[in-house]
Amino acid sequence: MRRASILPRVMLGARAASLTLMAALSLSCDKSITQTETLTPLEAVSTDASAGRWRMIVLTSPTQVPVPAPSAITSPAYVAELAAIKAAQETITPVQRERVAYWSGGGVLRWNQILRGLVARYNLPPAPRADGSYVFPDVNNPFGDPAFPFANPPYAARAYSYVAVAQYEALKAAWAYKYQYNRPAPARSDTGIRRLMPISDLPSYPSEDAVISGVTVAMLQALFPAAVEEITRRGADQREAALLAGKASSSDVAAGLALGRAVATLVLARASADGTGAAIGTPALWAALADSARARGETPWRSLETPVRPPMLPNFGRVQSWNLTATDVVAIRPPAPFPTASAQMLTEVAEVKRTVNGLTRAQRAIAEKWNDGAGTYTPPGHWNDIAAEYIRDARFSEVRAARAFALLNMAMHDASVACWEAKYTYFNPRPSQLDPSIRTDIGLPNFPAYPSGHSTFSAAAADVLGSLFPSAASQFTAMADEAGMSRLYGGIHYLNDIKEGKAHGLRVAAFTRRFAESDSAR
Amino acid sequence: MRVCGVTRPGGRRGTGWSRVLVRVAGLVLLLTAAAPRVHAQSMDDAIFMDRRVLCAGLFYTREQWSDYWEGTLKRDNGNIGTLTTTQASWMGAYGVTDRINILASLPYVWTKASQGVLAGQQGAQDLSLGIKVRAFSTPLTTHGTLHGIAVLSATAPTSDYTVDFFPLSIGSASRRATARGLLSFQGRNGVYVNGSASYTRRGNVTLDRVAYFTNNQLFLTNEVQMPDVSDYALTLGYQRTGLVVPIVFTRQTTRGGADIRRQDMPFVSNRMNFTRVDGRVQYVIPKLKAVTVHVGASHVLRGRNVGQSTTVMGGLLLAGKL
Repeated sequence: MRRASILPRVMLGARAASLTLMAALSLSCDKSITQTETLTPLEAVSTDASAGRWRMIVLTSPTQVPVPAPSAITSPAYVAELAAIKAAQETITPVQRERVAYWSGGGVLRWNQILRGLVARYNLPPAPRADGSYVFPDVNNPFGDPAFPFANPPYAARAYSYVAVAQYEALKAAWAYKYQYNRPAPARSDTGIRRLMPISDLPSYPSEDAVISGVTVAMLQALFPAAVEEITRRGADQREAALLAGKASSSDVAAGLALGRAVATLVLARASADGTGAAIGTPALWAALADSARARGETPWRSLETPVRPPMLPNFGRVQSWNLTATDVVAIRPPAPFPTASAQMLTEVAEVKRTVNGLTRAQRAIAEKWNDGAGTYTPPGHWNDIAAEYIRDARFSEVRAARAFALLNMAMHDASVACWEAKYTYFNPRPSQLDPSIRTDIGLPNFPAYPSGHSTFSAAAADVLGSLFPSAASQFTAMADEAGMSRLYGGIHYLNDIKEGKAHGLRVAAFTRRFAESDSAR
Repeated sequence: MRVCGVTRPGGRRGTGWSRVLVRVAGLVLLLTAAAPRVHAQSMDDAIFMDRRVLCAGLFYTREQWSDYWEGTLKRDNGNIGTLTTTQASWMGAYGVTDRINILASLPYVWTKASQGVLAGQQGAQDLSLGIKVRAFSTPLTTHGTLHGIAVLSATAPTSDYTVDFFPLSIGSASRRATARGLLSFQGRNGVYVNGSASYTRRGNVTLDRVAYFTNNQLFLTNEVQMPDVSDYALTLGYQRTGLVVPIVFTRQTTRGGADIRRQDMPFVSNRMNFTRVDGRVQYVIPKLKAVTVHVGASHVLRGRNVGQSTTVMGGLLLAGKL
């Protein structure tokens, strides 16, 4: 009897064991993850031979920086350069092959990925000190605590735009000289040189890879000085890859590097005078902003952080834009938000509360998808992420890819300037300030609510991307609308912030589109 | 000696009315699936249900911390204040044989920050199922008996809670499989010593965003690689009929993962390590022999990327023979 009754129980145990084992085994042994946005070797649909005549942005002309004529391909010096490439290819190491593969997807796209990583790495606010005060990041002490920079959304928007514009300027200059000197790529001059990357009939002097590395390394060293070592190493890898691939000779690389660096110097001169240095403001300014709101009969924004943190970059609205004048910025400013004591505002606050209290899982997912808060590549980085796959799939030449990123990021920098100008004009409180019972589903940004930065950035980005990729325009608009609404779901914006932010972003983008329509690149 | 409502091996179990009560109540508890934490009669102790004995009950735990380790830097955070995690857990154990038990638990979790604006979260967390086998028992000297025990368990989330909102997320939502080995020396004088070690394989998790930064690297994917976790625990305890009093030292090590960066939020795959001391009392009510009361408290002594939490726990377990 006893044995008979035990058997089914043992079987029950066995079933439980097998169930447990199955669950364990379903955790497959391979935990490696596949990253999206992989780059395939770039075979551009066009070399864009006329790009040397496209409209410049910072430089006065594509040949503002002189590039001396190269030696003839029959010269002993050049023949020696070709022999050196062959010798290097003979002894190429697996690590070098990986680097060639890494850079073969296009330097503009690859550096954009690297830049997004740098922004995410440095997008952390300063920690409070024991006495409750905050120290601002110091460019002269980039490795300190806090590290420099705090790559918050305005800083990031500006950084993305400066890198993209500098690359675009340098490549247009490179294209002008390429078609002036018409020196073929080494692998085209000498059939003994293997092609380890796709090599088009684009002239190779100066090397576009070296131009990109020279200009980008110089820009990034200024924007992210604590990452100088990694940035410098990657730049050297890119130039070596072009050489090993049979794409550029050492004189192509040397001329490209010099041109890239010289263009960066010119662009950095603009950056150093664009007003960013004063964007943080002073305690007197912060107090004046609140006083001004009170004088208008409004409840002024205040930081809800503990300890209270100074507002983020209150003077960023005075930073130089790319395609708007300071007068334009004021002229397109959104109308004033609902007065904080008005019935409409009460309705808006109630709507936020109703939304967060009844939040669905799908709405939470949208809030998290577009959160792009501290420690991430920011909303402008998110739009670069979106753009990168379209640019890759369009197989743009390096100079056209640089144009696409330049247009996108000029629009987002301008959106950032215009949005911050409006935010600090109105100094409007966040929902949790007007109703402390509103709990947020994402981090609460430490700056005024109206208008929504996400909505402004996203509308501007979607509009410019839609002009570059018209067949996807409606998708970009849908994404931008979702990004805007994500802020209501997160409990950090009123619906009116989102609505007016979107309209504002479209007004900003119109300035970039006007530039793009007359730059001879269409 | 068993704690979960069982008095002595082979002895009578409870009076008539309490046996009936326990059978009914135990089944009801099993079926109503409220919530637990795996502390008491659990995957990491040497306690076994006798054959056909079902033990089930509810546990309440409240864990709080104000200081946490940002990497190795201990700090507080004015935007969190005190973080409170409350769990109501259902748990059950069943003796398939005297040597083979199956175990299950399911917590319902609430989180709340005392300061700042971040919303607390709540929801049914992860269901754990385990099988516990006493592989051998051998007399060791004249003073006691050495038991060798193996536990295999699997855990999976039961709801679609967010893992992108630490420290307020209610869990990591990672599917996990744990193998644990445990040696227990039970002295005749009631003193016992357990030593155990476990390894937990953790499945990757997905976020609702397409990129994230961890390990000093930008990942362009929504999938997060979850490092495995190991721990070891040392228990010094005393037991007599109807009473077990263990003190447990646990050290958990996450085998990979990044530190929280300066002034960053925690992330699901962080390297979460801790050393914790845990004291418990498990007491069978003399007049209600099917009922075991559990109370306990634990404190994190050292940690990395975790809160320095203090936890109090109470539970009620009912046992009966089916």
